[in-house]
Amino acid sequence: MDSMPGQHETQRPADFLRQILGRPAVVKVNNGAEYRGNLVCLDGYLNIVMEGTEEFVGGELKRRYGDVFLRGNNVIYVGPAPAK
Amino acid sequence: MRSAHVGASSSGDEASGQLLPLELVDVAIGSRVWVILKSAREFRGILRGFDEFVNLVLEDVTEYQFTESGTDTRQLPSMLLNGSNVCVLVPEGGASERTAA
Amino acid sequence: MQSAGSAAEGASTNGALTGGSILGEPSDLVRLCLDELVYVKLRGERELVGRLHGYDQHLNMVVGDAEETVMSTEVDEETFEQIVRTRKRKLPLVFVRGDTLILISPLFRQSGASR
Repeated sequence: MDSMPGQHETQRPADFLRQILGRPAVVKVNNGAEYRGNLVCLDGYLNIVMEGTEEFVGGELKRRYGDVFLRGNNVIYVGPAPAK
Repeated sequence: MRSAHVGASSSGDEASGQLLPLELVDVAIGSRVWVILKSAREFRGILRGFDEFVNLVLEDVTEYQFTESGTDTRQLPSMLLNGSNVCVLVPEGGASERTAA
Repeated sequence: MQSAGSAAEGASTNGALTGGSILGEPSDLVRLCLDELVYVKLRGERELVGRLHGYDQHLNMVVGDAEETVMSTEVDEETFEQIVRTRKRKLPLVFVRGDTLILISPLFRQSGASR
C-alpha cells in the first residue's frame, strides 16, 4: 500500500491532515451542515476542534462558535477552505 | 502511470488470482475516482491516497448532493473523505489527470 | 463506539495532531468544558444547552439543567411553505449517547453567538 516509485504525489490521509492543521478548513457533517474555521487539532477518529467557526446550513450562515468540538463519526470530509 | 485495469502484474495474491479490494483502490491512486457514500452524496476527484479504513485523500473534487429539488454540486480543491461513510468507489481510470502542484 | 480510523496515525500515541495549540487532542476541549455551560448539537435536529457534568471516551455525556430544543420542518399543504417548528423543554439531568453528538461548544468562550 506504500507509494510506488514515480508516485511522489501520493498522499496518505495522515500526511494530508498534518498539512492542513492550523489553517482555515471546511468540515462537512452528516446532517449537511458545514463548518468553516481554523483547524486547531484532530485525532484518528476524525474528532476535530476548530476555532472561530462559522456554521453554514444550505449555504446560509446560521451560527458562530468560539471553539467547537466535532465528533468524528459524523464528519463526512475535511479539507482546506477554498479560496473565496 | 498506472492503469485502472488490474491484471496479474499487480502485487498481491497472484497465486489465487484474487484481486484484493484495497489493491483496486491502490491502483486508482493518481487517477479519477467516483465515490458513492451511504447517504445521497457522491464525489468525483483524483485519488491521492488512502489508508486501511479507506479514508480517501481526493483532489480537484466535485461534490454532488442529491435532494428532492435536484442536485447540488460544489467544487473543492482537496479533502479527506471519512472512510466510514464510503459505500462504493468506482475507478474511472484512463486519463491520469494531474492538477498543477 | 466510534468506528476506528487512523487518519492521524503515527502522530503521537493517541493519533492526535495539534497545530500550535494548548490542546493536545480534540477531547481536551471537552475536558475544559467540564462544569461549564455548553451548547450541544445532536442528530435529529436536537440541541441542548446545559452544564456538562461528565463525559467518557465515547463522548457519552451527563448534562444538567438542560434546555432541549427540537426543531422540525413541516410543509404547509396549501402554500407549500416550509414551517420550522421548535419545541423547548427543561430537563434536569440527562444522559446523552456519544454517537448522536455532532458538536459541542463551550458557551463561556463563545464569541458572537447568533441565536
